[in-house]
Amino acid sequence: MSAPSVANYIVKRPWLKRWMTPIANWYTDAAGYRRLGLKFDDLIPEESETVQQAIKRLPPKEAYDRVFRIRRAFQCSISHTLLPANEQIKPSEDVEYLSPIIREIEKEAKERDDLDNLVVRK
Amino acid sequence: MLSRSSLSRNAPRALSAGRRAMASAANPTFQYDVSEAAGVKVANREVNGATGTLALVAKAGSRYQPFPGFSDALEKFAFKSTLKRSALRITREVELLGGEISATHSRENVVLRAKFLANDLPYFTELLAEAASQTKFSDHELNEVVATLLKYQQQAVYSSPETVALDAAHGVAFHRGLGAPITPSQTTPYEKYLSGDALAQFAQDAYAKSNVALVSTGPNSSEVSKWVGQFFKDLPAGSSSSQYKVQPSQASKYFGGEQRIPSKNGNAVVIAFPGSSAFGTAGYKAEASVLAALLGGESSIKWTPGFSLLSKATQGFSFLNVSTKNHAYSDAGLFTVTLSGAADQVGAASKNVVDALKKAAAGEVASEDIKKAAALAKFRALESVQTLETGLEATGSGLVHGSKAYQIGEIAQALENVSEEQVKEVAKSFLSGKASLVSVGDIHQLPYAEDLGLSA
Repeated sequence: MSAPSVANYIVKRPWLKRWMTPIANWYTDAAGYRRLGLKFDDLIPEESETVQQAIKRLPPKEAYDRVFRIRRAFQCSISHTLLPANEQIKPSEDVEYLSPIIREIEKEAKERDDLDNLVVRK
Repeated sequence: MLSRSSLSRNAPRALSAGRRAMASAANPTFQYDVSEAAGVKVANREVNGATGTLALVAKAGSRYQPFPGFSDALEKFAFKSTLKRSALRITREVELLGGEISATHSRENVVLRAKFLANDLPYFTELLAEAASQTKFSDHELNEVVATLLKYQQQAVYSSPETVALDAAHGVAFHRGLGAPITPSQTTPYEKYLSGDALAQFAQDAYAKSNVALVSTGPNSSEVSKWVGQFFKDLPAGSSSSQYKVQPSQASKYFGGEQRIPSKNGNAVVIAFPGSSAFGTAGYKAEASVLAALLGGESSIKWTPGFSLLSKATQGFSFLNVSTKNHAYSDAGLFTVTLSGAADQVGAASKNVVDALKKAAAGEVASEDIKKAAALAKFRALESVQTLETGLEATGSGLVHGSKAYQIGEIAQALENVSEEQVKEVAKSFLSGKASLVSVGDIHQLPYAEDLGLSA
């Protein structure tokens, strides 16, 4: 259950990518989740079996860090503050850690679905 | 209905047909041809029929595992997701082709087995090669599938008092190596050692070319070497220097001793002595398997206790099972008498076991019975080689442990040469040496070695 995106459409066209990248960077930064100390993958809605499964498959350290970030952001939200600049998530740290696992699980589910509906011709 | 006369007319013919089969015991179709393809040892047996089998025997059983639970996990990881396809796809493909894949492990070997229609030989050869060299060993598969299976395995193994007692008897007799439990018990802290990475490193070494042998039977076994040469090229060459590599085999040493394990699942007593190692090794003693057949305990014929000493000695006990077996390994063996059933009867009957053994040692056994025992031992040995389930592993094990593949004619010869004197001697040596005694269950009622007159 990765977030819907037009990223693939844009990435395939270099001229469009060159044009869109600064805008995308500005937009992501303006969204403000990094200032609460969150990564983009923390925002994926976790109320689905796929994401629950993916969270279970996280390595222990990643899972711990994820909970830490979410709790820290929650505190910030309650107290209406932002994190100090040095604790905010830098763009270089905002990398996918959950989405690859989600994609893998979706692939598994699709494979199972395909195999279940397999028609054998001999 | 068959008339009496037709029966009697056919009877001599049936007999003579049986003779003919006996005479050709060294039938060439039961011999394995041993060759090497792509650096992997291959044993072939040409058998006419529509189906074939292929087994990969790796010297990576619980004896050689670096940490507890590794052989179990390696076995359970067989045919799981590989770099090329997922576990689900493997299962579905095998279903479509109508084959059967399985994996087991023993104290010495991990065995991956495939049975299939003869035409599918290339597919299953490739599958075995893929399972051996390209399994992913991902952590999530370990946590979601393998660890759960391992828990069920533990429950299955440890709910039977006989298996617990046998396992403990090996532990008492050999300490490390052969004495390592075949499946770690539920209270063993094995989880801390298991991880996908560790298993991947173990597999690198376990499925190394020098550590595996392929055994095949089927109508087109001559093609096996060709396909093995093609698909098993990429098997790792082995010998990584990590701490997770297959442990070097140290010569097994017999210790002996006593262990008592309280359990609510039932009662079992195992009385064990140093037995005979596998055929073709230095420690092979044919007389031990004859003595095992002589002591016996389980009848091979219905509705009669049979000729064996123990079934006669325990005839009065109705809630009791007795069996005698020689567990043969590559450099040692364990001769075990297993009793299970009601606690008081197990306790009383274990005294009878020792008495029977004393009788055998004193030579107070009819030579008739010894002849019967030799015939039964011969039948069992030959049958176990001929039966696919046991024969494949025995043959492969012989190859990876550096001795020769099982050859039926020679085993039969060795068993025929056993004399009464030899059987007597081996029984004597059991009584004079150190025994291993394990009691599982209601240990309040089960005997100590002292009570039985054994030194443990």
